[in-house]
Amino acid sequence: MDNSILLVQAASGLENLMAGSVPGPLKDSTVAQVSAFIYYQSNVIAKLTTNKQFQNKFTTVMFDQINKDFGEYIDAIARSRPRNMHHVYEWKKTGTPSGRLFNIKILSREGLSFKLGFEFKPSKSLVPSSNSRRRHVFINKASVMEAGMPLKISPRSAERLIFEYNGETIFMPKGASTLVKRPGGPGVKNQFVLAYSRFFNGQLVNNSIKRSKFQQVFNSGLTKAMRLPSSIKKVQYKFYPKTLLTQADAALSQAYGGSL
Amino acid sequence: MTANYKLDAMLELRKFLWKELTERDIFDDEYWSDNVNENLIPIIPVQQLPEMNQFLSGKKHIVYDKIGMSYDENWLICCEQILFTIYSTDISDINETRNFMTDQFRRMDESAKDINKWTGLSNKFKFHSIYLADISPTAPSEELQGFFSADVILEIKYSRITDGSGRFN
Repeated sequence: MDNSILLVQAASGLENLMAGSVPGPLKDSTVAQVSAFIYYQSNVIAKLTTNKQFQNKFTTVMFDQINKDFGEYIDAIARSRPRNMHHVYEWKKTGTPSGRLFNIKILSREGLSFKLGFEFKPSKSLVPSSNSRRRHVFINKASVMEAGMPLKISPRSAERLIFEYNGETIFMPKGASTLVKRPGGPGVKNQFVLAYSRFFNGQLVNNSIKRSKFQQVFNSGLTKAMRLPSSIKKVQYKFYPKTLLTQADAALSQAYGGSL
Repeated sequence: MTANYKLDAMLELRKFLWKELTERDIFDDEYWSDNVNENLIPIIPVQQLPEMNQFLSGKKHIVYDKIGMSYDENWLICCEQILFTIYSTDISDINETRNFMTDQFRRMDESAKDINKWTGLSNKFKFHSIYLADISPTAPSEELQGFFSADVILEIKYSRITDGSGRFN
């Protein structure tokens, strides 16, 4: 069960204690006031962590920073080791943000936690060729090269395949296909996945989360919302749960600029 | 007087790293180039790797690149990440350099103190912390056949000395 629900359930046990002390000549507000105090703060926290808009804001702040840092990390690796990482960029754009053929995305969310994954984007640029007038696009360049899938190339509209290999022009027999065993070269297979794992299993993602300033989103508003309403600070012998819940709602929307 | 915008904290760190590597005999300084008629420093920016390859003639070297940099609301402090890739044909050379960098740069403000104390540091910078963000295992390099390589990522926080209005001095 979600922690916030448990918190609300536990706090609901305080409702009786907020109802006021037993009738008699001596009146004590302490129990009712302390109960109201805990009840109010429990509900502020529970409402905050279960609120969809807050969850979205929290997730977005963190995801944006991770997305930025991860992209820059892969770009730097690609510039340093283009033979390992050229396949996840458009042709001749290795290491540049505008040439990226990968994205990280949020796969699922639950409360304030979320799962990330990656996807490869289709290539849109023409495969560079110095000797051919017919140009084509290798749409699944990133995913095929990352997986190290052998490629079978067959003539479609042409009579035969003609290509350069080791400086020589090769004329394939009419209608024959050719097999590229390691498209992208021997160094690309699983290299993106390896870099992805290093980023997300090591310190880099933690640094990124710290840089996202998610604590500020959480703390700045929560500190305001947790301030006790003046009604709880005053000596009273009875508190009404509905009033406190309304006050908790109002405090949260005020603390987060009405975004809740 | 205008500030010298050619100064860069990454280059200061590179100079400091080279001084330490040679003082500890991890690298020698015999990277002579006839073309420029002087010894080269084999810690080179990634953009110059193709041009420099011919001068390195199979010797161990380090390639570096800036991953990213950012200023927070506290705009006096810059946070920067730098990727160093160590190349060598001998795996123990890589381990030695990587272990040295770990020892030198993992201590945050203590590591920053070391570079701040160094007399070769430009007086326009003050380092606040240096932190080892990531180290990779050593693996055969695809870029340079016959070489091994390993990555070290440093995260540095520093300030550029400013004038009264907060501009670079």
